[in-house]
Amino acid sequence: MKTDWWSKSLAGIVAGFTLALALAGLFAWAGPGGINAVNKYQLIMWMVAPLWLSAVSLVFLFPSGCHAWAWLGGANVCAWIALVLTRSWLG
Amino acid sequence: MRSDIIRTYKAVHTWTGITTGLLLFVAFYAGALTMFKAPLLRWAEPAVLAPAPAVLSGDQLIARTLAQRPETAKEFTLHLEGPLRLSWQKTRRDDSPFIAAPDADGSIAIGQTRSAGLDWLVDVIHRTGGLPLDVETGTMVTGLAAGLYTVALVSGLIILLPSLIKDLFALRLGHNLKRLWLDAHNLVGLFSLPFHLVMALSAVVFGWHDLLYDSLNEAVYKGQMRTVMRASNPPAPFAGDKSTAVPLGVDVLLAHVAVVAPGFRPTSLQYRDFGTKAATVRVSGEDPRYLVRGHGFLLLGAVSGSVIGTEYLPGQQGVWASVVSSFFALHFGSFGGDTVRWGYFALGLAGAFLFYSGNLLWIESRRRRQRGGDECPGQSRSSRTMAALTVGICLGCVAGLSAAIVAARWLQGVFIDVNGWSRGIYYIIFVLALFIALRHGAARAAAPLLGLAALCTAAIPLSSLLLWRSAVPGIDVVAACGAVVLAVLARKTAARAAHGPADSVWSAAHNAKKV
Repeated sequence: MKTDWWSKSLAGIVAGFTLALALAGLFAWAGPGGINAVNKYQLIMWMVAPLWLSAVSLVFLFPSGCHAWAWLGGANVCAWIALVLTRSWLG
Repeated sequence: MRSDIIRTYKAVHTWTGITTGLLLFVAFYAGALTMFKAPLLRWAEPAVLAPAPAVLSGDQLIARTLAQRPETAKEFTLHLEGPLRLSWQKTRRDDSPFIAAPDADGSIAIGQTRSAGLDWLVDVIHRTGGLPLDVETGTMVTGLAAGLYTVALVSGLIILLPSLIKDLFALRLGHNLKRLWLDAHNLVGLFSLPFHLVMALSAVVFGWHDLLYDSLNEAVYKGQMRTVMRASNPPAPFAGDKSTAVPLGVDVLLAHVAVVAPGFRPTSLQYRDFGTKAATVRVSGEDPRYLVRGHGFLLLGAVSGSVIGTEYLPGQQGVWASVVSSFFALHFGSFGGDTVRWGYFALGLAGAFLFYSGNLLWIESRRRRQRGGDECPGQSRSSRTMAALTVGICLGCVAGLSAAIVAARWLQGVFIDVNGWSRGIYYIIFVLALFIALRHGAARAAAPLLGLAALCTAAIPLSSLLLWRSAVPGIDVVAACGAVVLAVLARKTAARAAHGPADSVWSAAHNAKKV
């Protein structure tokens, strides 16, 4: 297992943040009540913090920085495609 | 679990912990005190807050104040708790609002508040972690620390998992003091983990909600976040209508509230656009049966008494708002009354201990030991600096807060800006303690600083004895207990500095001249 401090930390902070945004966004659009449910936007904002920090905390489990970027990057691509599709479909 | 993973997470835990521990100590110690900020305020200024016999009704007070200060009609608050009074601020961030209260003869006295604002002071130190910043910037720094602290919590849990069963209930009292500290650190950390996760994640949100909202606006809401927000706060009927209209009386409005929300105890009424058709009143209050954000409120039309919004009224919120309210309640401990308040007080102090013990462990694992008959090795510069910072900041915060509480009581009525004075005294004591610790080293400074903290804390009950009056005797009792604990620690620390092992950062003999 490689340490790769910088590479892994950045993967968790940057790719983890964009992944958290996309996942919260998916829940906002496709979750119960849809995008316009009263005061749902507040919970969506709250959701980002635990999702993001889970990524930052667990990113050091990857065997290397490359693995971290590959997995988180892949998850980002899937989540963002799903978000864009849901957004244009429901919006 | 694989040993290389454990090793990696030990490094993560060390770095996130050592960079945030001292800030978090201050935030948690002050945070524990905020659980009792209302009694603290009553203790410090009993004369100001004692309920006075009502010479005027709320309606009369409003009418007479507005006759003198018509510009106030735009926004003011009628307080029902404590003495009857109106308050208003020049701007949102105004720290010393104007107060209008009836004198004994029924005339209105208007002035800027002379309140010590002790509740405000403790809260600011909690939110900024004691950094001399404005509250907003300070909350962002604390939010950043809280993010690292979340990572520290998860990594701490990962390190502990493999030996969890073996280590959990072990409190090995033996010759190995480091083992004992580690056991205590693990025990406190694991049992208060849910509390710490709640605090860490909510503090991140409190500090960084603007960034999160802005990002979500771009990424998720197609730039329409404002529209979505506005749709969640329905506009008042007749909004913007400036034509004159007489609002309902206070008692009638409160009767409306009692019908809509039985069990809700109103504490203040915030009026907007009073005297116009658009006038609204936001009735804030408490309902201990629900998880609410400090205060819940009900929005009414002031002229018709019709309900405009219940999205923040305990028990009548929508699903999403009530979930979010529960996050606030879990951070503030604003549910379950005194039991939860004492529980949070204890958990807050335990949290402060967690960070303090974390720093001790960091220092102890870098200890240079004396072998056989060799000359005693001095401790490394980083160990000595960290020990001095830990002692200076932690004890400076404890002593400073006690001193600020005492100052708020004695300066009451002497200065208008008691607020500024109390905060100034906090920082004078804090900086003094930090200076002493860095100048003389942890070993020499620890005992005198513990003595200082004990003295400042003992001054709380001593003030009540001298003035022969205490509005909240419970505060004196708790402070007296705290002072005794600090005094005992001061004696033990002095003994350790003099007679403890010389190859330690806590020994006065070998570290005095090297810092």
